[in-house]
Amino acid sequence: MTIFNLPDLGEGLAEAEIVRWHVNVGDAVIVDQPMLAVETAKAIVEVPVPFSGVVKALHGQPGDIVETGAPLIELESKRSTTDAGTVVGNVPTSDEELIESAYAGGRGNNGHSAHSANGTNGANANNGITPHSANGQLRAAPAARSLARKLNIDLTQLTGSGPGGVIIVDDVIAHSNAPSNKPSAPTPTAARPQATPFTGGEQLRGLRRAMAQSMTLAHDNVANCTIFDDADLHRWHESKDFTPRLLRAIAAACQAEPALNAWFDGATQIRRELPEINVGMAVDTPHGLIVPIIRDVGSRSASQLRGEIDRLKRAARDRSIAPEDLRDATFMLTNFGMMAGRYATPVVLPPTVAILGSGRLSRDVVAVNDRVEAHLRMPLSLTFDHRCVTGGEAARFLAAVLRDLEKDN
Amino acid sequence: MAKVTMIEAINRAHAWEMSHDPSVVVLGQDVGLNGGVFRATAGLQEQFGKDRVQDTPLAEGMIAGMAIGMATQGLRPVAEIQFMGFIYPALDQIGNHMARMRNRTRGRLTCPVVIRMPHGGGIHAPEHHSECLESLLAHHAGLRVVCPSSPARAYGLLLAAIRDPDPVIFLEPSRLYRLVKQEINDDGQALPLNVCYRLREGNDVTVVTWGAMVTDTLRAAERLEGEGVSCEVLDLATLSPIDHDTIIESVVKTGRLVIVHEAPRNCGIGAEIAATVAERALYDLHAPIKRVTGYDTIIPLSRLEHDYIPNTARITDAVRETLAE
Repeated sequence: MTIFNLPDLGEGLAEAEIVRWHVNVGDAVIVDQPMLAVETAKAIVEVPVPFSGVVKALHGQPGDIVETGAPLIELESKRSTTDAGTVVGNVPTSDEELIESAYAGGRGNNGHSAHSANGTNGANANNGITPHSANGQLRAAPAARSLARKLNIDLTQLTGSGPGGVIIVDDVIAHSNAPSNKPSAPTPTAARPQATPFTGGEQLRGLRRAMAQSMTLAHDNVANCTIFDDADLHRWHESKDFTPRLLRAIAAACQAEPALNAWFDGATQIRRELPEINVGMAVDTPHGLIVPIIRDVGSRSASQLRGEIDRLKRAARDRSIAPEDLRDATFMLTNFGMMAGRYATPVVLPPTVAILGSGRLSRDVVAVNDRVEAHLRMPLSLTFDHRCVTGGEAARFLAAVLRDLEKDN
Repeated sequence: MAKVTMIEAINRAHAWEMSHDPSVVVLGQDVGLNGGVFRATAGLQEQFGKDRVQDTPLAEGMIAGMAIGMATQGLRPVAEIQFMGFIYPALDQIGNHMARMRNRTRGRLTCPVVIRMPHGGGIHAPEHHSECLESLLAHHAGLRVVCPSSPARAYGLLLAAIRDPDPVIFLEPSRLYRLVKQEINDDGQALPLNVCYRLREGNDVTVVTWGAMVTDTLRAAERLEGEGVSCEVLDLATLSPIDHDTIIESVVKTGRLVIVHEAPRNCGIGAEIAATVAERALYDLHAPIKRVTGYDTIIPLSRLEHDYIPNTARITDAVRETLAE
């Protein structure tokens, strides 16, 4: 029910006289249809119906004086009177009914049950859903999970050795290293080729086993980079003793470029250039590779070097070499050219940072001015650890080796 | 039994408690004659008189201060702040006095105040009417912060809040006020504060949320069920102190956690939950914890606010990403 008061009809008039009603009690009226005529001090004014509805009461008869703002008519409105529920914005509504089965947690799930429609505690909320995998109770360090994913290892196969049985990284590594648990697919962290299992054979021992270990270490850690060139020995006279000349050339190159006569520790990132030049010389023996050291190469004559080379080779082959003759190499030389092979990619053995390989000598056709000549040449392969030696340093070193080797004596 | 909206449930909780406890009084701007900006207190002044339902000036600091005075002298005031964005003038009273009255007086005075306010956006309101500032209040020791997500929990938690001997901030998600109806027993039965409510049981991922985001989260869980993903949905309900035990218990079971809140991400309550789960259940996690939140910007006005408020699609995406880990 809404009461409509006599509006201000303008010009600040305080009252009006009802002339006639156009509507009666019980009439259904629509907005803006003529409702009544009132006479003001100035004119007769038609007042329209303010909103659609049904007339419930008329206040005043023709001839009555009504004050502005006083009740004039009562209408039962068809207009929606629903409260929007807010003075700002628009609060959304719906006909939806909420049926939920909440229950309070934190108290063994026996907490007070909410006012739910069906009074259940939500235990049936999981109908038809597949239970989680067996991993449901698995506890593992995030790093262990990550590693296991990389290695394609199923964590449920592992037993945790961390606090409270948590699977830790060590457990994953141990599982991965167990021979029967090699991951099925090669992965970045397991880049070593997986040999096809075979029967028979011999367990590596002694020198060959040491070689396997040191070469694996070298391969896994060093950033090997090899450059190749040829030393032209055309100017050499009678002397054909190559190894002392190679050692001399190395000494000269170490003077010119000390960065290759150094040790490097990848773990601590410490590099140390060394004052003395101790060249480790790879010697092939029936038992495996052995690397005796020729000390202080820079200050010895060719004949002294030859004597030392012979002594060490003998000692190496009859396995009488002293441990101190195998320690503290600062640079490596491998001379494989007596048999075959011109170039190679020798492997740097930490902590040294470079190795020079000399291959099989040959008489090559070379251009000399405008003529063609046959010169004796020595192929050289210089591998350096690119983690701590630059390409420029290596190239300068090799250039110095070539300069010294190409001298006539 | 009656089917009521959240706003009606709040109204009935007021009426029940005022009928049964003469110390309960209501105050705030327009709560009396007008019945409150959202009609939460409609009819209360008529029923309980002007002494117990007091209209105040537009002065939030004064409303909070009055409530503190009443509470320390034996009344149980329930004060309304019209919108959470208007809380700032009251923070001095709330933080410096209300929250620490028990501590300051070494337990001689308590401060059983409830401060109610609409929380969050989604109603096309102007500036300062859509804020989620729960972290601001949760960061104060001495305050309990509660946020219901259904008519039944609004009824039961508000009764518990009024009966609590210490101050409670009661956040009412305004876009849920009239969104759905729910059967409630208007029997004065309170619900426990400081526990989570498990709304849906599941095994693959735990989704923790509260307030208006519960609606969207349940919708997301429904959709994900069709994909064979079983979500456990927890309504945090009491934002401070947090019922970490229930969350941890659930995460240990599922191994995955997604947190959904409307408030900005930075320093949100989601960060507190994530940190505690990392401390207590890291080894049970199968995947990094994910948060779906409002952005670290001012909440936009009506045309863009739905791009700010997390929606069902953002929640389902986050759950899928978590499961893909």
